[in-house]
Amino acid sequence: MTPAGSLLEARALHKAYGPTPALDGADFAIHPGEVVAVMGPSGSGKSTLLHCLAGIIRPDSGSVRYGTHTLTGLSDARCSALRRTDFGFVFQFGQLVPELTCLENVALPLRLNGTKRKDAERQARDWLARLEVDGVAAKRPGEISGGQGQRVAVARALATRPRVIFADEPTGALDSLNGERVLTLLTDAARDTDAAVVLVTHESRVAAYADREIVVRDGIARETAGAA
Amino acid sequence: MTLLRSRPHGERDTTVPAPPPAPPRTGPARWARDLAMGMRFAAGGGREGWIRTALTAAGVALGVAVLLFCASAPTLMNAWHGREKARENLGQAHPPPRSDRTVLYAHTDTVFRGTAIRGRLVRPDGAHPPAPPGMRHLPGPGEMVVSPALKDLLAAPDNALLRARLSSYRIVGVIGDEGLKGPRELTYLAHSDALSELTGYRIDRFGKSWDPRPLTTPGLVLVIMTCVALMTPVMVFIGTSVRFGNERRERRLAALRLVGADVRTTRRIASGEVLFGSLLGLLGGGALFLAGRLLAPSITLWDINVYPSDVTPGPLAALLITVLVPTAAVLVTLVAQRGVTVEPLGIVRNRPPVRRRLWWRVALPVAGTALLVPMAIRPGPIDDPLATGCLAGGSTLLLFGVTALLPWLVDRVVGRLRGGPVTWQLAVRRLQLSSGPATRAVSGITVALAGAVAIHMLMTGSQAGYAAAYAESGRVPQISLWGNGASWQQTERLLSALRATPGVTTARGLLDANAGRMPTPDHDTDRDLPGIIGVGTCAELRKVAHLPSCRDGDAFVTDGHRDSGTERGLTPGATINLNPPDASDEPVPAPRPWTVPPSARAAQLAPLQDGHRLYYDLLLTPSVLDTNRLTRPSVEALVRFDRDTPDAVEHIRNTAARIDPTMMEGSSIDNPHDRQYDGIRTTIFIGAVVTLLLIGAGLIISTVEQLYERRRLLSTLDAYGTRRATLGWSVLWQTALPVALGLALALSCGLALGSLLLTIIGSDVIVDWPVVAGMTAIGGGVILFVTALSLPPLWRMMRPEGLRTE
Repeated sequence: MTPAGSLLEARALHKAYGPTPALDGADFAIHPGEVVAVMGPSGSGKSTLLHCLAGIIRPDSGSVRYGTHTLTGLSDARCSALRRTDFGFVFQFGQLVPELTCLENVALPLRLNGTKRKDAERQARDWLARLEVDGVAAKRPGEISGGQGQRVAVARALATRPRVIFADEPTGALDSLNGERVLTLLTDAARDTDAAVVLVTHESRVAAYADREIVVRDGIARETAGAA
Repeated sequence: MTLLRSRPHGERDTTVPAPPPAPPRTGPARWARDLAMGMRFAAGGGREGWIRTALTAAGVALGVAVLLFCASAPTLMNAWHGREKARENLGQAHPPPRSDRTVLYAHTDTVFRGTAIRGRLVRPDGAHPPAPPGMRHLPGPGEMVVSPALKDLLAAPDNALLRARLSSYRIVGVIGDEGLKGPRELTYLAHSDALSELTGYRIDRFGKSWDPRPLTTPGLVLVIMTCVALMTPVMVFIGTSVRFGNERRERRLAALRLVGADVRTTRRIASGEVLFGSLLGLLGGGALFLAGRLLAPSITLWDINVYPSDVTPGPLAALLITVLVPTAAVLVTLVAQRGVTVEPLGIVRNRPPVRRRLWWRVALPVAGTALLVPMAIRPGPIDDPLATGCLAGGSTLLLFGVTALLPWLVDRVVGRLRGGPVTWQLAVRRLQLSSGPATRAVSGITVALAGAVAIHMLMTGSQAGYAAAYAESGRVPQISLWGNGASWQQTERLLSALRATPGVTTARGLLDANAGRMPTPDHDTDRDLPGIIGVGTCAELRKVAHLPSCRDGDAFVTDGHRDSGTERGLTPGATINLNPPDASDEPVPAPRPWTVPPSARAAQLAPLQDGHRLYYDLLLTPSVLDTNRLTRPSVEALVRFDRDTPDAVEHIRNTAARIDPTMMEGSSIDNPHDRQYDGIRTTIFIGAVVTLLLIGAGLIISTVEQLYERRRLLSTLDAYGTRRATLGWSVLWQTALPVALGLALALSCGLALGSLLLTIIGSDVIVDWPVVAGMTAIGGGVILFVTALSLPPLWRMMRPEGLRTE
């Protein structure tokens, strides 16, 4: 790992859930425009690492630095504000708000940031078109397929033009064809916007879309041999 | 030797095969087994299971208690009336002859500072008089027995005037429960040697053959609407509570399907889970009822106050409640499972989206209105069974119609909402997707509030009618007194005493008696209306008539017959009968002739302050006629007083009681209806508030349940950096929208129903706006209450734990 010039950097992260350690001195760094795959078996601590990096949970010890901010030292409100403006998220099942239309779902992070509704929806429509799901804009998540839903979720993650996108098993619920399409769209869009992507997965074919791979095992993150 | 022996080729297996599994039990046995299994799940289902069981039990307990109280109403009224019947005898058609076992009896009811006190005087004719219930024997001369409540009232330090009124009698005992209508009744029974056949009547027993009037139509409508308004929210609450933890229950049922249970079995098991809570609720409801009825002595509604033992439901009603309420809870569960198929790998919701149709929802209130409007347009008798049915049916349909209209209204209104801030959008979209749970809970508010507003209007209108009548009658501060009159001298004593009473400004009075034509062979006087003779000094006579001149010995024939349109034959020089028949079935009494002085002059009755005239045919000065010849003369006095003199009315009552305790009073000073209606209105208001809180509790349950089901989504939104306040406001709007629509609908319906009912009973339509505003405010309070209590679980669920998949 080369922390110099990194956008997001974690050092010596420790996190335990009760007596069970999830992270045991994990280090991590990611640069702008970089796609890093975080791999590891189930229960190894990959999602915990992602949540710590995104400021969703606080590590028991260690630090996370984002640009000039030390996330571990920020208040909950500041962390939330940072997530609204600088981070984007994609989860395994999309987690779209079921009562909102796909367009409204994509516009939601923008509106949470204070963008006016019409402007937010215009931008959301552009992102839906870019992710090739503009046809489902008026539909609700329950009315579209899993692949379409995940693309809408990617559009939602990209809508605020975040500097870091956290994707936790983004293709875990999709067939391989749909999964590949979603990953292609996600990584292409991220590179176009110079966003870094933290891609948590346990599938090696997903990791193939990354510039680097980090393996988490027993709470310790190690860069794989031959990584860039 | 080996234990295993190989079977030679070709040899048939002659061993007995293992018996096939026992065929599944069917019918009641299977039901019992599955229900028992469900009950075991409910008892051992962890925290959620216990919460659901507790909520179901609470709902059922409330329902059972409400129904048991409602079912106790007939028994309660029978007991209340029964005690009144057993102790009373207001005269026998054929008075018994005086004997060792008879007693002279008179009522001496009075009022003290607006509170009615029942009084009875007795004077036994012999040594073995009958005694009313609640006492072993009648009190001795100058003694009285009192109810516990009156004893307390008499003992209160600021009630000296009441003590003075009853000072002729010494308290020697307390009347037992069986001699009282209720524990707070104010009553006494005193032995007065002054009681005579003139002032009392002879009886040989206590207890009367009298049947209480059946419940009047407004009363019946009140009872029905109260039941509907109370039970609907309770049923809604039960419906909400049995749905609590549905997601986890469905997962459990799916697991049961995986191990071989069929769909019907899972439904029976689900029913068993609810049945457990229902049975607990049944016990809780019974306990609540038993505890609640202990409060009966402290409650007075419509002047009815009873003992705890009176609050007892009929056995059939109790049995029906015991069976039907738990069954209803189970049915609600089964209805909630409509369109849901529990499959081994999960739940299949095969219920198509409900399209809410308007026609049948409108049909209910329209039918209700159609039943009520004709009665409002053409007011007629409302006490016949048909009218009662129309009133009760119309009111109930209108109330239920509101419940049916609400989901449609919420769908339509919410469906048209667009735009707005994110918080609003999240709430609106949520309601657009599924407004069922919120609407279901709010429909309880709607019925309860509409019913409460309508009942309140009914009460306010009736109360205002009485208040206006009393205000008009009581415009002049006066009190009229009447009683048996022995002689003019006694009447004069009464008037003098009254004039000397503190606060009295004027007092006037005459001695009255009936007189009629003398019977002749060709004229039967049985059906003649008697004329009225008034005896008094010139000064008193001038207060009722314009006299040309007057001195003792004068007589006057008035122009009263012009008012009545009937000439009574009381003319100068005519011989009249001073003992006329009283139009009863008694034998015609012997005539008592007396000749009207031929010198009697004409006089004109004077109008009173209210424009009416007191009716007299003949006015006599005292020396014209020996008043002992009159039949059952009475004294009537009108006393005016100064409102500013403290307790002037009580002083007047004391004076009258001192002269003649059996004297009766007519006044518009104390409006008893205010007290009655205030009690009812307060009770309704409290009931509405409790109902709203109950609905609030139901709303909290459904909101928290919904939040729990969306915990992963909430965690995701939190990951996105969504502010807590954003989702908090969203929950507020999500609660506020249906509640606001429900309130609007409830108020419209309540006001319409109240107006119709008031028009039907012939009262002015009066809206008690402060109450309407109060209920609306409470509805608003419920919104805030629900939101406030939903926030802690909302924030707990906005945690990253929800994102963890491993």
